[in-house]
Amino acid sequence: MSQPTAPETLGSLSDETPVDPNSKQAKAIAGRSPMQIALGRLVRDKIAMVCAAVIVFFLVVAIFAPLICKLFGVSTDTVFASQYLDMLGGGMPLKGPPNNGFDPEHPFGIAPQSADDNLAYWVYGCRTSLTIAASATLFASVVGIAVGLLAGFLGGIVDKVLSFFIDLFLTIPFLLAALTIAPILNDRFSLNDNYALIQKFSLVAVLAIFGWMGMARLIRGEVLSLREREFVQAARVLGMPTSRVLIKELMPNLAAPIIISVSLMLPAFVAAEAGLAFLGIGVTSGASWGQTISKAVKYFEEYPLYLWEPLIGVVLLVLSLNLLGDAIRDALDPKTRR
Amino acid sequence: MKRNKPLALVAGAALITLAACGGGGGDDEGSTGGTDREFGDQGAGTKDEKLQGPAEAIEGATEGGTVTVYVAGDPGPNSLDPTEGWSVLGNSIQQALTSRSLTQYKRGPDGEPVLVPDLATDLGTPNEDYTEWTFTIRDDATWEDGKPITGEEVAWGIQRSLDAEQFPSGPGTEYSKAYFEGGQDYNGPYTDKGKAYDAISFDGQDVTIKMSKPFPDMDYWGAFMAMGPAPLGKASQPPNYGQDPLSNGPYKIEKFTVGEELVLTKNDQWIADSDPARHQYVDEWIFKFDQDQAKVDQIMLSDNSDSQTAIATSIGSDKYKQANEELGDRLVQQTAQCVSTLTPDYTKITDINIRKALAYAYPYNDMWLATGEVPGVTRVPANSVMPPGMAGKVDGFQPDGEQITFNPEKAKELLTEADAVGYQINMVYYETDPLAVAGQKQLTKGLETAGFKVKATPIQVSPYDIWLDPENKINKTLNLRGVNWCSDWPAGSTMLPPLLKTGAVYNTAQFSEASVDDEMDNIATLPLEEQADAWGALDEKIMTDYFPIIPTAFRNDLFVFGTKIGNPSGDAALGAPNYKDFYVMQ
Repeated sequence: MSQPTAPETLGSLSDETPVDPNSKQAKAIAGRSPMQIALGRLVRDKIAMVCAAVIVFFLVVAIFAPLICKLFGVSTDTVFASQYLDMLGGGMPLKGPPNNGFDPEHPFGIAPQSADDNLAYWVYGCRTSLTIAASATLFASVVGIAVGLLAGFLGGIVDKVLSFFIDLFLTIPFLLAALTIAPILNDRFSLNDNYALIQKFSLVAVLAIFGWMGMARLIRGEVLSLREREFVQAARVLGMPTSRVLIKELMPNLAAPIIISVSLMLPAFVAAEAGLAFLGIGVTSGASWGQTISKAVKYFEEYPLYLWEPLIGVVLLVLSLNLLGDAIRDALDPKTRR
Repeated sequence: MKRNKPLALVAGAALITLAACGGGGGDDEGSTGGTDREFGDQGAGTKDEKLQGPAEAIEGATEGGTVTVYVAGDPGPNSLDPTEGWSVLGNSIQQALTSRSLTQYKRGPDGEPVLVPDLATDLGTPNEDYTEWTFTIRDDATWEDGKPITGEEVAWGIQRSLDAEQFPSGPGTEYSKAYFEGGQDYNGPYTDKGKAYDAISFDGQDVTIKMSKPFPDMDYWGAFMAMGPAPLGKASQPPNYGQDPLSNGPYKIEKFTVGEELVLTKNDQWIADSDPARHQYVDEWIFKFDQDQAKVDQIMLSDNSDSQTAIATSIGSDKYKQANEELGDRLVQQTAQCVSTLTPDYTKITDINIRKALAYAYPYNDMWLATGEVPGVTRVPANSVMPPGMAGKVDGFQPDGEQITFNPEKAKELLTEADAVGYQINMVYYETDPLAVAGQKQLTKGLETAGFKVKATPIQVSPYDIWLDPENKINKTLNLRGVNWCSDWPAGSTMLPPLLKTGAVYNTAQFSEASVDDEMDNIATLPLEEQADAWGALDEKIMTDYFPIIPTAFRNDLFVFGTKIGNPSGDAALGAPNYKDFYVMQ
């Protein structure tokens, strides 16, 4: 009896065509790590790729903001408003949109009332948005991961204390705290020359302080189940120091939840930054999409372009980040695939 | 008078206007329609002490209807107690509709305010040196419960104005306490309970007030509702009385929700014959406070059935062009008797050339645009502290030869002359308001173009909190402040001393010249008919010789009226819609 090339099966559970494990194709599959598999899934996801392209575009805009402004010959410098605006016409621009055609000197038009260049403010607004959201995400996730790991792994009194702090921070209303902190900081630092920088740092701090709890809870839960697994117990029995167990044994197994929550935290912070700026807290000097939106709202009829520009920026960036986050989750955790 | 304007509208270097009221001024009243709105000459306010009720009927007026007044961005008064009222919004409503006082203003034929009797039978009788005034209260004036108003109730109401503890933001703190005999030592009937105060006395319907120093403007002060009656005893106990005060005007208070709404209905006990200037055409008034400007603009421009009988007390600058083209006579421009100023610190910026350089470096049109004003319409160039239309103002004088406009070259020349190129200016701006931030950017740009260095400190409290606090650490570093001021009545005495007398609270320039102080004291002792010109001359002298304050703008308001509101017009005395004379076309 000759040996069949493929092992006998009673039927396939998957709908993929059974592959001979000895064939070349099968060997290629066998050599891929789980991350590579996930990445492969992600690359095949068309929506994810479009979103990634959009995000790359915004990243380029943010990183090369000064160059882009130079290229178009625009800047965020203040100009004398009366030279560019129709004084009796509701402060509308004399050249360019909304009442005239395209103005090559100001491709996005200029703002009513102040004559600020919209393109320059849009580009720098993108930069503000991304720097603040990225730094806040970084801080929040570092804190969240550290707290989650310690609480979950050490358990006992440490877990109780850390969980208490997680709950405590969850009870503090974020908006209220942000509204309270702004005038306190102003009172303390308003005479400082670096006030604008301090304002940015404090905004990052506020966002991070109220953004790490979700991550910490998630990690803690994962660690609670992981620490009872054999490989962790083996490591402990071998006498590995706690730090090594945490970083070498547990962390790699937490990569998926960390990547997922970071990718969803980022858009939340972009939206929060814009929201705070809209309310007049956060970045008050300098460019910010939220601030431009709050100025532009009353012009929605006369000068819709002025409102659409920052609005499209925020919506596109947040939507892309969110969809990409979803796609990453699907790729890493195929069980939840729809 | 305090002007509870939304911060957003008054933004810039100087934020909230304090003090308003007063008058003198007809302007074109928006009658030109179309796109050209220019300011006519301002006629000074007059007096008519003989005028008696009933008020002259408005041509074509009909009775009935409900008028809704939309007040954008201003939460309105917290209390309706007449003694407490010192804001343009609250006083313009209450003095016109619910709360009578000794005297009142009537809109004259050219829109100028005319001081006429109200509860008093005339404009009061002073003694020779204006240290004692007697008012005779008319017999036929009544409360909303039908009881007659007595001299005792008027005397009691006036006495209440001396209580600075109970009414800390009332106008009595500025005038009653300063002028009434013993006013400084007497803390009012609530705080100094039981203490006798005999500077205000009554004999039947005659009320007599003794002054500690000559007070020739008592008849103007009498037009404040604080100089009106209050029910005796517990009935007028603050603060409860402020929620539902007893009305004696043509309307009574139906419903009052602080910060939201005030509803007034006809007071059927009001006798038209007793009142020389008020009318009772409308059935019901609804005042809606703290409205969104964009929403109000939409309502007023839509001309639907709701907005036809509505009035808006302001319009967004972004809608000005559309409103000007579409509304015609229904868009009314009213002078507000106010001046916006920048105040260089007189003790720090001692060189007059630097102060003048600041005036030339102020980008007027750019500032107005950036802070949401309409240049030339809601803000017009200013030349001195006294607003146009104030009695005695010297016409056409300019402190520096011609109208100061934005001229960085000229500013540079002046700075070079003063050997102060690169002079450091320290100021504050209100960073919570995007318009104030935008305005500050323009101002900084203007000053820097002219060769100044600017350090603008962002603050999150009202700039007045900084400017008026001598101990404030930020305030100590400043050498440029600002103040917006409106007259309480059309006399120089309500403009110059509060802003430029040594030690005056709102003298944010820290201006102090003994000769000017002496002259201010001296003017009060002059015969009444010479005072107006003396104030005007002093105004010119201060601006020409010292230039201690940079007047950046005289201010105007814009009102929008629905198509069915009859007689759309403004009240020049208060800078508000002329509520006394409106009716609804049937």
